[in-house]
Amino acid sequence: MKTIDAKHKDLRAVNQALRASLNGEPVTVRHAAHVHGLAAGLKQGQVEIAGDAGDYLGVLNAGATLHVQRNAGQYLADNMTAGTVIVDGDAGYGAGQYCYGGTVVVRGDAGDFTATMNKGAVILVAGDVGDEAGTYMLKGDLVIVGDAGANFANYLIRGTVYIGGAWRSLGHNTRVEPLTEADLAKLRGYFEQYGLTADPARFQKVVAASPKPFYN
Amino acid sequence: MAVIGAFCISVNQEACLNAQMPGKCATCAEVCPHGVYALDLASGAMHIQNYNACVGCRICAEFCPADAIRINPAESEYLSRYPWTLAAVEEVHAKAQTGEYLLRGFGTQGPTPNFDTITVVPSQIASAAPRDKYREECDLEVIIGADTCSQPLRLKLPFVWAAMSFGALSQEAKQALAIGAALTGIATNTGEGGLVPAEAWLARGYADEARAHKQWDPGGYLVIQWSTGRWGVSADYVNAGDAVEVKIGQGAKPGMGGHLLGSKVTEAVSRVRGVPVGSDALSPCRYYDVQTPEDMRRMVAFLRDVTDYRVPILFKLGPSRPYADVAACIEAGADAISIDGLVGGTGCSPDIVTQGVGIPTIACLPPAVQALKDYGVHRQVKLIALGGLRNGLDAFKALAMGADAVGFGSAAEIAMGCRACYACHKGNCPYGITSQKPELRARLDPLAAGQKLANFIHACAEEVKILTMLSGHRAIADLSTEDLRALDMNTAALTGLKLAGYERPLPIWEALAPVGRQGNGHTASERRSGSRGARPKTRRKPPLPSLN
Repeated sequence: MKTIDAKHKDLRAVNQALRASLNGEPVTVRHAAHVHGLAAGLKQGQVEIAGDAGDYLGVLNAGATLHVQRNAGQYLADNMTAGTVIVDGDAGYGAGQYCYGGTVVVRGDAGDFTATMNKGAVILVAGDVGDEAGTYMLKGDLVIVGDAGANFANYLIRGTVYIGGAWRSLGHNTRVEPLTEADLAKLRGYFEQYGLTADPARFQKVVAASPKPFYN
Repeated sequence: MAVIGAFCISVNQEACLNAQMPGKCATCAEVCPHGVYALDLASGAMHIQNYNACVGCRICAEFCPADAIRINPAESEYLSRYPWTLAAVEEVHAKAQTGEYLLRGFGTQGPTPNFDTITVVPSQIASAAPRDKYREECDLEVIIGADTCSQPLRLKLPFVWAAMSFGALSQEAKQALAIGAALTGIATNTGEGGLVPAEAWLARGYADEARAHKQWDPGGYLVIQWSTGRWGVSADYVNAGDAVEVKIGQGAKPGMGGHLLGSKVTEAVSRVRGVPVGSDALSPCRYYDVQTPEDMRRMVAFLRDVTDYRVPILFKLGPSRPYADVAACIEAGADAISIDGLVGGTGCSPDIVTQGVGIPTIACLPPAVQALKDYGVHRQVKLIALGGLRNGLDAFKALAMGADAVGFGSAAEIAMGCRACYACHKGNCPYGITSQKPELRARLDPLAAGQKLANFIHACAEEVKILTMLSGHRAIADLSTEDLRALDMNTAALTGLKLAGYERPLPIWEALAPVGRQGNGHTASERRSGSRGARPKTRRKPPLPSLN
């Protein structure tokens, strides 16, 4: 496995080295916590981030698989369209925002505004999330094993939010529905695929009360 | 407040086909975007059901096959009934009936400070001699990102199309704008509604996706807009253009995000934006993924990285605090900054916001230019003026006030045939420009409309050239505020321009100008030596207090 030491390197140097190294073999990046926008816009490849990652990790990711061994900064996998981003620790504010596709897995907790304007990605958080998680979601799944903060799933338009714990307050245009067999199978599949220990049966499902909640 | 009851409609009954043969013609009712006319289905007779709804666009007169309709301005009741004019009364009635605030399309109505109260100062004996428009050259080219990216944007003329999204505009209108750009060497802009596939090759001058043969010279450019809704945005989208524009705000509704009514969210629009068919697409008012100025710098950094440091990064601002906002864009690493004034257009906006929020374009430019000068990057980081510009005369004045290029939005729609009916939000545009309905879109031929747009740009370019040369300059980059005078006190106060006759800026501008700089932004030593000062090689923070 190739290794890039990002210490004393700026975004341009690190990403150029990364793109040049991705030829079918996984690449490890070390000391990348100060690099904001690491692995931006990659179409393929497998990147292992040893230690913490900075902000905007995997922004505009279009097919690469990224694995962070510790914590990720803010705006994890921002605007991703394809690929997988897995964080073994916590993720900061705004994980999985604006995503059109792909999968984000946070094994720890995630901050406020997780999955805001998610447009088609699957976003799994094994711990808790902060306020406003799932705000203005238009498509895709948000799965939270732990608890959520205030204004949960606010202005939900489409897509589905599953939560194993409790929320502080539910946002506008939301409705809680019982899980179907299909939901249970889907959750079981997610948990098995990413090695999460949770019982799908204790989850609740939140969907949009109306697909047209706005002034018309 | 909309202009209501300001127009008299007269129908020549002898010529009107419906009056002669009821049921034969209902064209006026079909094309009026405001429901002024109604057809009695039982008798087939046409009648005017709502005089007050007429906004004077004269679309009915244009479409009438018998040329039977005349629209004339009514006698103004503004003075006699103010503040309870008919418009104010109708507005209260509408809100009382529906409980909803009013929406509007197109832009601001009514008088606002604009370029009309600024005059151009020609060259005579005391200044550089005028240049011969017919026999001498004039440099109109504008290069954006010359120092920062491998493929700078080289506008052949100092114009761009303002950002207008697919959804707000029809696919045909987007294609026409791209063709117009290709024919003139300027840039079209995706707006925030994602990319209409043909836009990418039409803008570069190719008639087909394979780009085998160039159809239109010199070929233009495509600016990709990166906005708060991130509709249709991917790495491929960002890389499809010749520049990336980070939208912070727009003139018609600064502080609010894009607003596309559900009636215009068709299957095609839904595919790009991801909102359900028929549901409003409301962009967030801010970036969810930017919380601090440092985040904005990082956003610019990754946009440069994703585009391989190939294209310039532009910013688009609404009219708020021009000095501070432009300074923030410079700090974030902008290659060009568009500032969209109060009269900037929109596909849809709350009426009160379009009408009553923001700063006029002429008042945005002086502080914006001052910020660029204080950072030592004026003419290096380009300034693009937007918001209600109508012709080469407006463009010249904006350029002389310190802009490097200007943008046309509403004027571009009008060049395609629009008659400013202020109903873009309803989706019933009779010219197919702002409609998603197939039968209306079919009325707009992208090729013909693209040619009209190109003609408009060529005419404006000639106008700018005439004015630049009669002012004694070889290039638009040499223009300055010395080439303009304010015609009244208000304009002098808003702009800092010298007042005609008084031949100085108003004293309030002298008092407000930072130490060492006078009204036109030149230092005393620059004025004494006649030099405009050497351009600093690096950006520096302003050493002096700001104007706002």
